[in-house]
Amino acid sequence: MNDVLDIKRFTWLLKKSVLEQPALLIGLLAVTLTITFLTYAIVQSMVGIGKAQLSAFILGFIVGGSFMASSVFGYFSSKSNGVSFLLLPASHLEKWLCGIIISGVLFVIIYLGFYRLIDLFFVSSYQNNLDHNAINYQTLYNSVEIFSFNNSIVRVVFAAFFNISGAMLLGSLYFNRVSYIKVSLLICTIIIGTYFTNLLFASFFFEHIDLAVPFRNVFLKVDKEVGIIDMPSSPAKAASFAIAYIIPAALWALAYLRLKEKEI
Amino acid sequence: MIDISNLSFGYKKGNLLYKDLSLSLVDGNIYGLLGKNGAGKSTLLKNIAGSLFPVGGGVSVDGMIPQKRLPSFLRTVYYIPEECFVPAITVKQYTALFGIFYPDFNADQLFVYLKELEVVVPGKLSALSFGQQKKFIIAFALACNTKVILMDEPTNGLDIPSKTQFRKLIASVMNDERIIFISTHQTRDLENLIDQVIIVDSGNLLLCASVDEITSKLHFETVSEIPSEIKVIYAEEHLKGTSIVRENTTGEDSRLNLEHLFNGATQNPQLLKQIFTAKKQQS
Repeated sequence: MNDVLDIKRFTWLLKKSVLEQPALLIGLLAVTLTITFLTYAIVQSMVGIGKAQLSAFILGFIVGGSFMASSVFGYFSSKSNGVSFLLLPASHLEKWLCGIIISGVLFVIIYLGFYRLIDLFFVSSYQNNLDHNAINYQTLYNSVEIFSFNNSIVRVVFAAFFNISGAMLLGSLYFNRVSYIKVSLLICTIIIGTYFTNLLFASFFFEHIDLAVPFRNVFLKVDKEVGIIDMPSSPAKAASFAIAYIIPAALWALAYLRLKEKEI
Repeated sequence: MIDISNLSFGYKKGNLLYKDLSLSLVDGNIYGLLGKNGAGKSTLLKNIAGSLFPVGGGVSVDGMIPQKRLPSFLRTVYYIPEECFVPAITVKQYTALFGIFYPDFNADQLFVYLKELEVVVPGKLSALSFGQQKKFIIAFALACNTKVILMDEPTNGLDIPSKTQFRKLIASVMNDERIIFISTHQTRDLENLIDQVIIVDSGNLLLCASVDEITSKLHFETVSEIPSEIKVIYAEEHLKGTSIVRENTTGEDSRLNLEHLFNGATQNPQLLKQIFTAKKQQS
């Protein structure tokens, strides 16, 4: 018998994980998609479609995704449920993969698919409602395009999603109760701590610091003049690579080790 | 066979609950694990099930290490915690989603056991009362036909008729290959059911013996006056006299009183140890 990964057993586990708590996982997905749709509609009516595209995408993807990652191992909020999950005859790898597939693959596919649909709907509705006889019709028509999933901002959003979701997944295995709040506080602490540590180190080298963005650049301001000092290219690339790939991979991998060592 | 060898376990570093505990549980027996609240009963069961890990020594179940939580091990052991969890799904869904993981799961048996325990599930399992949920999990665990069944306070939350049904059901599913290990602090719930008694207190193993061995070494009786020349482990006065547990020096038969045995073991562990050690040396 394969004690590491058995496809049949993994399929049972995936099915169980989704159907055992449909209100939680399917409900959470439904809420995320609804909030994305509403955010898109409200922001579009207030400040225009361009900002609506980005704000709805970021809100739904990161907040919804982080809730999903935090809930997928939500068994541990109750001791009996946690024990039942740990002692279910499936391997650690299968249980971990199940969490990864639900929060890191299925959620992403469903969310991006849904987002593409509502984006198509809003963009085509915007373009169809333009006055065809207006002088600037073509300009207005071309000013709005289908939201691309392949630009620098979206790549940052993807990196943020995989970092935050990885932290949420790992955190749910460390904190049995209110893990979402605890991990959120921890993330805020790390971000604020990193910002001020960076600012402190930057102040050793520069004066007149206006803003110091960790791993990117320092803004210097003398009177009204602003100058930017970028981080040298190779360490900046290394830092970006670490944030985009190494840290999320480490967080998701650590979740496997934590699950293996989890006692309850 | 469950082999516990020099097991040490503690929830905090430097504060061990169990230290060098050794114990062997043999197939074909129903073991009763008795102890006060907080004595370490659940901890011991969890170490056997694999949800807690020993800090020293080890546990093996038929040569498998619970700590690894391999599927080949987990499918042979069913652990029923004191407080059971059932999701908000129907019996049919539960059996389809959970039963499939246990190769010997028998859905027909489940319905027979549910009938015997008088559990009727009209809708979702989560809508059942605590006692009904617990009976459902007991029935499900038995229907999984695992070789080892670990039950933590299974009779907590059960009404009096249910406790009787529980005992009957456990006795009916027992066979020579199974080990059923039941922890409780309600000793009367296990009377006439178990054939091996294990008593723990504050992480110490006070007694591990079969019912036959206990009744051959100890005598349970009610007397009007406590004899002075014999070793009395426990005495309890009541209207009809004084119930005592004493060393069985004459080989007389008596009926095991688990509650008195437990009280004697916890109040007078040294004397109990002396009697059992001395008798072992004689035999």
